[in-house]
Amino acid sequence: MKIFVIGAGQVGATIVQALHDEHELTVFDLDGDRLAAISQRYDVHTVEGNGASRRVLSSAGIAAANLLIACTSRDESNIVAAMISKACSRRTTTIVRTTNPEYLEVWREGQLDVDFIVSSEVETAHAILRTVGVPAARQTDVFADGQVQLVEFDITDSADPGILGRPLRDAHTPPDSRLAAILRGEEVVIPRGDETIEPGDRIVVIGSPQAAQEWGDLIAPGTGKVSDVVVFGAGRAGTAIARLLLEQGIGVRLIEASRERARVVAAELPDARVYNATGLDPDFLERERIADAQVAIFAMRDDLKNHFAATLAKVHGARFTIAIVHEGPSQEVFEHAGVDVTVNPRQITAEEIVRFAHDPRTQQVVMLEGDRFEVLDITTQRDSEYVGLKFKDMPIRGALIGAIVRDGKAVFPRGDEVLRPGDRVIVFTESQRVAEVEKAL
Amino acid sequence: MSPADRGRPRRPPLLAVDVVGVLHVVGTLILYLSAATLVPAGVALGYEESPWPFLVAGAAAASLGGGVMLVTRGEHRLGIREGFLVVALTWVTAAALAATPYVLSGDPQVDSLVDAYFEGMSGFTTTGGSILTQVEELPRGLAMWRQFTQWLGGIGIIVLALAVLPRLRVGGRQLLEHELPGPEIESLTTRIRDTAQRIWILYVGLTALLIAILAGLGLAGVDDEMTPFHAIAHAFTTISTAGFSTKSDSIGAFAPATQWVVIVFMVLGGINFALMYRALVRRQPRAATRDEELRLYVALLAVGAAVLIALVWVEDIVPGLEGVRAATFTAVATMTTTGYSVVDYNVWPALALMTIVGLMFIGGSAGSTSGSVKVVRHLLLGKVLRREIDQTLHPEIVLPVRLNRAVVDERTLRAVSSFILLYIGIFILGALVLAVDAARTGLELSTLDAISVSASMLSNVGPALGIGGPLGSFEPFSDFSTLVMTVLMWLGRLEIVPIVVLLSRHYWRS
Repeated sequence: MKIFVIGAGQVGATIVQALHDEHELTVFDLDGDRLAAISQRYDVHTVEGNGASRRVLSSAGIAAANLLIACTSRDESNIVAAMISKACSRRTTTIVRTTNPEYLEVWREGQLDVDFIVSSEVETAHAILRTVGVPAARQTDVFADGQVQLVEFDITDSADPGILGRPLRDAHTPPDSRLAAILRGEEVVIPRGDETIEPGDRIVVIGSPQAAQEWGDLIAPGTGKVSDVVVFGAGRAGTAIARLLLEQGIGVRLIEASRERARVVAAELPDARVYNATGLDPDFLERERIADAQVAIFAMRDDLKNHFAATLAKVHGARFTIAIVHEGPSQEVFEHAGVDVTVNPRQITAEEIVRFAHDPRTQQVVMLEGDRFEVLDITTQRDSEYVGLKFKDMPIRGALIGAIVRDGKAVFPRGDEVLRPGDRVIVFTESQRVAEVEKAL
Repeated sequence: MSPADRGRPRRPPLLAVDVVGVLHVVGTLILYLSAATLVPAGVALGYEESPWPFLVAGAAAASLGGGVMLVTRGEHRLGIREGFLVVALTWVTAAALAATPYVLSGDPQVDSLVDAYFEGMSGFTTTGGSILTQVEELPRGLAMWRQFTQWLGGIGIIVLALAVLPRLRVGGRQLLEHELPGPEIESLTTRIRDTAQRIWILYVGLTALLIAILAGLGLAGVDDEMTPFHAIAHAFTTISTAGFSTKSDSIGAFAPATQWVVIVFMVLGGINFALMYRALVRRQPRAATRDEELRLYVALLAVGAAVLIALVWVEDIVPGLEGVRAATFTAVATMTTTGYSVVDYNVWPALALMTIVGLMFIGGSAGSTSGSVKVVRHLLLGKVLRREIDQTLHPEIVLPVRLNRAVVDERTLRAVSSFILLYIGIFILGALVLAVDAARTGLELSTLDAISVSASMLSNVGPALGIGGPLGSFEPFSDFSTLVMTVLMWLGRLEIVPIVVLLSRHYWRS
């Protein structure tokens, strides 16, 4: 497939990294240095110029492109690029990245001639909500309208002894779920019956929302249903998170340093409690009992402030902290500081965009652990070699079917279940095997 | 500017207000308003009475207004500043216009100029307090003039002018805001003139409906007292929540069915007309049922009526269903600031009297014909107080005050709080002056009576407790007290601020 990527920033680079092997990429950016950095690492064509210019796009051969991904940091440039692309070539699919949820709304109403819009803020908020919905989950994603969840857990000493250190065939794992992988350091362990879960492991579970909740309870016993969340920073990201939480009936306290912004957000979200404070003031944290919140989310624009505020909140007893990180290296810093979960909006945006670039049958793609693993959502074809086989008889080639969706209902297969044509399968696989798995099914 | 003037600093104008321009607008308004005297003149002719008091008053007002208008012709700067003065002066002169026929008629009940002016002001401000003792003895034309001034004043003289007259050459919105009661007006349309027209159409429509119902009751034999004359007269003063009656016993002279109909229309008169327009004409009933002010308004009416019913029953003053009617009527008439009566509540227990005085401070909705503080201000003040308590506990919290889900801006909230303070201050001052003056002249006026008179005048209710009660008259009050009451009505009708502004030095100097 011929793909144009406009914008070689963090999102663009992540997309290039994920797609460069299988596809023919042309990357546009105004900054020659960024392009040089990309062309040194990947075999892609680069164009130094404005991707929102018709001259630049058509001389690069927009008519022959299958897909245009506009992912610069400027919403309007992205939209203009997509619109020019549509004007030059109708059959080119366009994906636009936006930071403004309003464009998403306009697009949903069919007012923007763009095939797909990804809003960093909304995607980030969803990612965080999934994490909040399942306590202690590191990264979760949903498939088949939420019937199937994918959850990563960090295992600590406090996990339930029913699952810790026991051979898996004896462990009391929740029904309707499958343990997809155990990540131990750099090693990936495919879970067989005699394998055990140890403290320090990171496990990947595919299961029903109910089962994901039960896994959460097993791994972090004592965390009940979330009802009180504090969000630091009421920018677009913080507001989007707060809105989603409120829609779930979760109480939200928002802390915003700018008086003006606090007013605007308080007007926008009648059900949230908005405070005009920096969140860096220990007196304030004590007075408002911020540490009593079940979850503290740090969504300020500045990683340094998030880091400081998160650390301070931890010092004051915050139990579960989630930070939004903007710079790549921050993730490690936050993890070192004891922040429980980090969410990178750019990475999430890239994932959402890459999802679209895959095989059209592939409805959702989740990138785990950088890009070592992917979870695919594929509909099986009649001629697949797996159709008609029992699950226990299927050859394992670094891939694992976590769930199937049959007639719109999620089924978590037992050993003697048979795969039928037309089943949607949620497959956990190593990245280099994606093409192979897609072909096999 | 001529070439010779160039470069020389100009002398600043003496006043920052374009008084000439203001006089021009007021003159124009009075010229048009003088046409209103034709209505009672027609009535007088119909009943074979002398139409001359009305025609002379009308001619005088027309020539005076027209004269001022002609003399002050020219280029004017009419802005926010001028608006205050226009409204204040228009109402002062309109009251004088209303008073002229009383004086010219030579009726013995309105022999003094002060009393006539009081009656005129009570008319246009829709207060309904009267210095008359025997209203039935008035000529028909004069009686109808009283009712008609209240109908004109109900939704506002300037609202009428904006709706009917070609162009006032002055910012309509500000004028409308000064005159239409409430903290802010809700525009039905982008052009203020269209809004004024729609409000007036609704006003006329409701009046016509009430005339039809009342006259129907009379013709059907349900109410023998209700002649077409009385039907029209009372429809005029019901929708405008005004309270003048052509009967000494007020609505008490009519049948129970009539009284219930009047209760319903007093309640309607106290509802925001813009909201009513949307609910009835544009068929958006949800706008009304979800309106916080309307809900509170209805709830307060119900609570007020329930308290009075309970007290009337417990003390066994008016038994049974009659008690329900009398108490409900009194609560509605007082809270909507109509001031009709069906019983003399002066004999009711103290708690009932306190409740009645309390209801005087509530009023109807903003944008209605009622006076007083208005329900929406109480609503907003309550919300502000609740926020204050929350903010004491959480100093950093940001809590916008909402009305019908929309955020109310802080300036409006400040204006509401200061309005209520100002209102209470003027009410206390008024009560004090009236009590002291009563003591000076030996008038029999208890403390509660003085309080009730001040509250009743400022809130444009009408009757008070004691001698100014439902069956009483304000005639015994001294000329000075009568003037004080007149000023209170004027302040209350224009909601104080546009008049207090005139007392500021910064208003007159730039």
